[in-house]
Amino acid sequence: MIEYLFLLLGTVLMISGGLGVLRFPDVYTRLHASTKCDTGGAMSILIAVAIVSEAPMLIKVKFLILAFLIAMINPMVAHAIARGAHKSGIKPKGVIDVYARDGF
Amino acid sequence: MSRMPLYLKERIEEINQRALLFNYETNTLPKWEKVIITWIALAIFWMIVSVSIHWQNILIGAVVTFLVSLLMYDMFTSDIRRKGNVAIKALRIIFLYVPQYIFIMAFRLVESNLKVLKHAILMDINPGIVKIDSDLHSHTGLTILANSITLTPGTLTIDTVRGLDESKIYVHWIDVETLDREKAGAIIKGGLEDWLKNIFW
Amino acid sequence: MVKEYLLVSPFELVMFIVLFTSIILIYRVIFGPTTPDRIVGFNTISTKITVVIAILAFLKNEYVLIDLAIVLLMVNALGSLILAKHFERGGEK
Repeated sequence: MIEYLFLLLGTVLMISGGLGVLRFPDVYTRLHASTKCDTGGAMSILIAVAIVSEAPMLIKVKFLILAFLIAMINPMVAHAIARGAHKSGIKPKGVIDVYARDGF
Repeated sequence: MSRMPLYLKERIEEINQRALLFNYETNTLPKWEKVIITWIALAIFWMIVSVSIHWQNILIGAVVTFLVSLLMYDMFTSDIRRKGNVAIKALRIIFLYVPQYIFIMAFRLVESNLKVLKHAILMDINPGIVKIDSDLHSHTGLTILANSITLTPGTLTIDTVRGLDESKIYVHWIDVETLDREKAGAIIKGGLEDWLKNIFW
Repeated sequence: MVKEYLLVSPFELVMFIVLFTSIILIYRVIFGPTTPDRIVGFNTISTKITVVIAILAFLKNEYVLIDLAIVLLMVNALGSLILAKHFERGGEK
């Protein structure tokens, strides 16, 4: 029963990530929605698949390895895209920008 | 030593801390230990990804991972230092610290996802980039702290500046509450940095 | 005569919902105001496709597809890193 709970959670998070990427105003806030919701939704769906699958133990471990790689790689890519966008001259909307004030 | 003025004592403690960090920075492992650690890690990854346990498969994996670890032995292991008992340290990391970390991060991740859903529906955002300090000095520890900050609610790491005396992290905050560095650091990092100091330096 | 139903298990339903979400996100890839917006949309779609491939590997009992998902994830990360470095060094000129 718990695998369908994980599945429902993952689907809701995936839809909320898509909604966030469509509705937020600039690239940094879109990155918030993209990286968090994709990581959470993908990890919970993969955990549900690994629980319900009837494969041998090593293949279930491969599903979990895929979830671990998503959790390691996604924040790193978000950080790289944010830094590249800031250095190519896209100004963030908001109240304060210490990063541009410090001369980067 | 006990009659020393207070400012001198503080200065000596600072110099001792700096000498300890410099010692950590220069005392790396010898080359063959780095090669062997990288070889073991890559071989375990090979065994998990290719699930067959035929002897030809294991032989090919051992040869290829040895050649790869001869080339890039410095990527994983440049932050490992020899201090204390190795077996006790490894057991404590695997059975105590990593489950604690997974337990903390799972709830923070679900909380941050629901917060993004709330922001996407209501659009009550107030974004800005702030700067916080960090006490970690190694590449690996700073990277894991930055990735954890990205996954906790409302924050996204833009850049990190690493130095022996102080490390700084620039964070894009979706709902800026305070501009003070200390308070912002206490809110953003939470208990993560105290946990990470158990393992990394 | 055997009739095949399309949505028999909840996993297939989840697969189609994720595909539908990624089709909606093509709006961000086509009409994004700047190029980093397009990269964000593309990266999101690739992660969703990785999940879809993993669910397919479970549904069809073809566990070779998990390797494909891992390779797609790594290639996606590498491409995004290269594009980010390109922006860092000067952007679109």
